[in-house]
Amino acid sequence: MSIKILTVDDSKTVRLIVRKAFKEFQCEILEAGDGVEGLSVASKASPDLILLDVTMPVMDGVEMLSRLKGEAALKGIPVIMLTAEGGREHVMKVAKIGIRDYIVKPFKEEVLIEKVGRVIDLKPVSDAPAKAKSYTDTADILVVDDKPAISEQIREGFKHLPWRIHSASSQGEAIDFCARATPDLIAISLSLPDEAAYSLFRLIRGNPKTKYTPVMALVVKTETGQQQQAQNVGMSSIITKPIDLKELEAKASKAMNIDTSNRYFATEGDTLVMRLPEFCTQSTVLEVESHVKVKIAGAVDAGLTKMVIDAQKTGALEMAGIKLLFQTMQMCRDLGLRCGLVGNPRVVAECKGFEDTRNWKFCDSIEQARLGLETS
Amino acid sequence: MPTQPVPSPTPTPGAPSGAFDAPLIRDFMAGSVGNVFKVMLSMDAVSVDLPHDAATLEGIGKPVKIPHDRIVGSIGFNGEATGNVFLHFELPFASACTCHLLGMSESELAEAGNECLNDAIAEITNMTAGGFKNALCDRGFPCMLTLPSVLRGSSFYVAPVSSAARHVSHFDCGGHRVTAEIFIKSNDPETS
Repeated sequence: MSIKILTVDDSKTVRLIVRKAFKEFQCEILEAGDGVEGLSVASKASPDLILLDVTMPVMDGVEMLSRLKGEAALKGIPVIMLTAEGGREHVMKVAKIGIRDYIVKPFKEEVLIEKVGRVIDLKPVSDAPAKAKSYTDTADILVVDDKPAISEQIREGFKHLPWRIHSASSQGEAIDFCARATPDLIAISLSLPDEAAYSLFRLIRGNPKTKYTPVMALVVKTETGQQQQAQNVGMSSIITKPIDLKELEAKASKAMNIDTSNRYFATEGDTLVMRLPEFCTQSTVLEVESHVKVKIAGAVDAGLTKMVIDAQKTGALEMAGIKLLFQTMQMCRDLGLRCGLVGNPRVVAECKGFEDTRNWKFCDSIEQARLGLETS
Repeated sequence: MPTQPVPSPTPTPGAPSGAFDAPLIRDFMAGSVGNVFKVMLSMDAVSVDLPHDAATLEGIGKPVKIPHDRIVGSIGFNGEATGNVFLHFELPFASACTCHLLGMSESELAEAGNECLNDAIAEITNMTAGGFKNALCDRGFPCMLTLPSVLRGSSFYVAPVSSAARHVSHFDCGGHRVTAEIFIKSNDPETS
């Protein structure tokens, strides 16, 4: 059920501004032009929050607030005053009746969103359950680091992807950027002066627009204390410097909920092909592993009978890669999918080194493997 | 066509302004207009000094001279200080401000009609007068705003009645003129 915000203001302009401000969030805006109408709408619709003006015809905001607090069913609804009446004495008088906040007009939409976001859980519309993004979709990544070389390195490393890298060298620049746009991912250097990374993280989480934006910590590999602290405060993941761009890409994809399965899996005729990348890092293996079960089950469901695992371009499998192959083949056997392997001499040699994999037969190409499966 | 006076609930030009000297009022108004234009319209409103002659309205009881059709937001304040604030806009600029405020195009505004424009100007005036009035409150003159209203036309002026002082401030807003006209009197017997 979506959040309901009731704006009670005799000015249609203000009601329109409120509607405009919250259009990017999953919430319904209810309107009333005076206190009497406001009480009526509040009784019928039980809003999660009321934005209340003071000077209105028929019944003013102070009267409406007093009556609201006198009704058992309505007194729990949080109220934020949104009014041009901002004299100290007046604010104190209204505060005594019971309000959550007080916004004096003129107001910036960001301030309104921020204050409302402190009272109710605002979720961006883009956060609604939706199809996962593909890695061919554009994404905006904000890199906050006072060393320009880092942003440049990331920009260069991601130039094969349609991801836009934006740089901010300070907390202030990052906040300004987030006021203008909502990034899909934020990477913050923990080495920003005066622990600015943590205060920035708090501000990002306090802003309803970026409340759910994944935040990665950039930290030197040896700074284990900082890595621990980043995890403790709730940052989504850690990227160590020097940056392994493949690892960053894998972690960024995961953080942004990007469906990367098409990078590794394809259906070619009657065969499911799984291609391992050149660099089989721990994070890449985890990424492939997260898709294996679904892809194999999908292949069986679609009537495919063969699967080929292509490690022809892989430099080194390492233990994690070999384990992935082993699990994948086991899954194929369990579901009655015939499985063939393609590998280069290095991969073949690596597999010879383990008892369970030493007898694996590798082909030189996918076509050869498919033919082998047909005749087996 | 003769100019039509619009009676102001607060009276007479040239009356003592009591605690409210002209520079203080101008400061309050400049701060308030500047803040509203900056925050709501992303625009600087720069105070402009014009010669003190009748044409520019420092002369008592003379009309605010705006060469276009205009729209005037009006709002009163009552309490320890009493008076009115009038905010004069050229009509085309008022439309531009409304579009900015509501995120509308000119054609959308035309479709929405005069009510939309009037309401936006009333709200800008409400916010501006609010800032001015809050400054008075914090200075020890608590007062409350009345409901705003709007006047439109090309040939009218606000005729003050006795005992209220009149202050006029002009602002340049991106090449457009906005004029604030204030009538004020103190109800505090010690200062009035």
